[in-house]
Amino acid sequence: MIQTIEASPDEIYDIELEHSLLEANAKLAKENRILLDRFGIAAIDVMGAIGSGKTTLIGRLVGRLKDQFGVAVLNGDATTSTDADLIAGQNVPVVQIATVNGCHLDANLVGKALRKIDLAKLKLIFIENIGNLICPAEFPLGSRARVVVVSVTEGQYMVRKHPHMFLGADLVVINKVDLAAAMEVSVSDLAADMHKLKPSIKVIPTSCKNSVGLDELTSCLLAV
Amino acid sequence: MHELSIASAVVDSVLEFLDAHEVKKVLKVRLAVGELSHVEADQLCFCYTAITQETAIENSALEIERVAAVVECPSCSYRGRPKYWEDALAAAPIPTLECPNCRGAVEPVEGNDCAIKTIQFVV
Repeated sequence: MIQTIEASPDEIYDIELEHSLLEANAKLAKENRILLDRFGIAAIDVMGAIGSGKTTLIGRLVGRLKDQFGVAVLNGDATTSTDADLIAGQNVPVVQIATVNGCHLDANLVGKALRKIDLAKLKLIFIENIGNLICPAEFPLGSRARVVVVSVTEGQYMVRKHPHMFLGADLVVINKVDLAAAMEVSVSDLAADMHKLKPSIKVIPTSCKNSVGLDELTSCLLAV
Repeated sequence: MHELSIASAVVDSVLEFLDAHEVKKVLKVRLAVGELSHVEADQLCFCYTAITQETAIENSALEIERVAAVVECPSCSYRGRPKYWEDALAAAPIPTLECPNCRGAVEPVEGNDCAIKTIQFVV
């Protein structure tokens, strides 16, 4: 889309470029999706703040599903492999993606990780994003669904504080609802905030401790 | 700090442009940043200044223009500005994906992207 110009010395030119900065990632995300679709694999991008319970939740879902079909997990983490180690204990394929200074996973990193596992045996891949409620929103990975995990321990206002994260999500899990009373947080008010922002969003309250909502979440993820 | 990733993408694109063209000096790079993209203009400018140091485009200016959001409703065919959540707790109105007309779910059609619009340079 670059125009050709006849230049005279020291003249100032303005060239129209129309070059999208998010397109490079979006293109790689599309390639990841094509690869996953070819193998009939649904990938779920699991986003949320540090400590919202992403790893525990993924661990519980893997435990429920791994005997039915092939499940793998890609664990994004800036520095440690603690999350990947935890999941690997369940004997499913795990790839740790260390972003070091990166605040989000991108489609390039996920594409590289997908090439490290045998896709032929899989039906479902959980991609655990970096603990961050802002940056991952801008970088689609090629997943079939984007899930945000929030926990009641993050307080009553996280939807208003981080609206962008929820605008791009298909499903929100309100986790640790067993602690809602102690935190004095209203789960129904949180859900109402999410629907106010995005009427089509599905909201599932869960507690890994008491196994609340895990049946609903499992069937929801199997339907994507 | 995904602004750093975006700023790096800007610098890579401009340096690529420099490689392919006879340019003496880049004066200004103009970006269009959508209202629904999650890019913070001041942070982006800060990152740009920092990472262009000691490159061929050091001291070039980064100008950022906001692109307003436009949404479309599949149920009632509304097309226009989104409905804003006027929340007393928020510093600014929050754009939502609720249809201002029928309260259904709208899809964003404009204001999602972040793109280089023009490069101003001296030959």
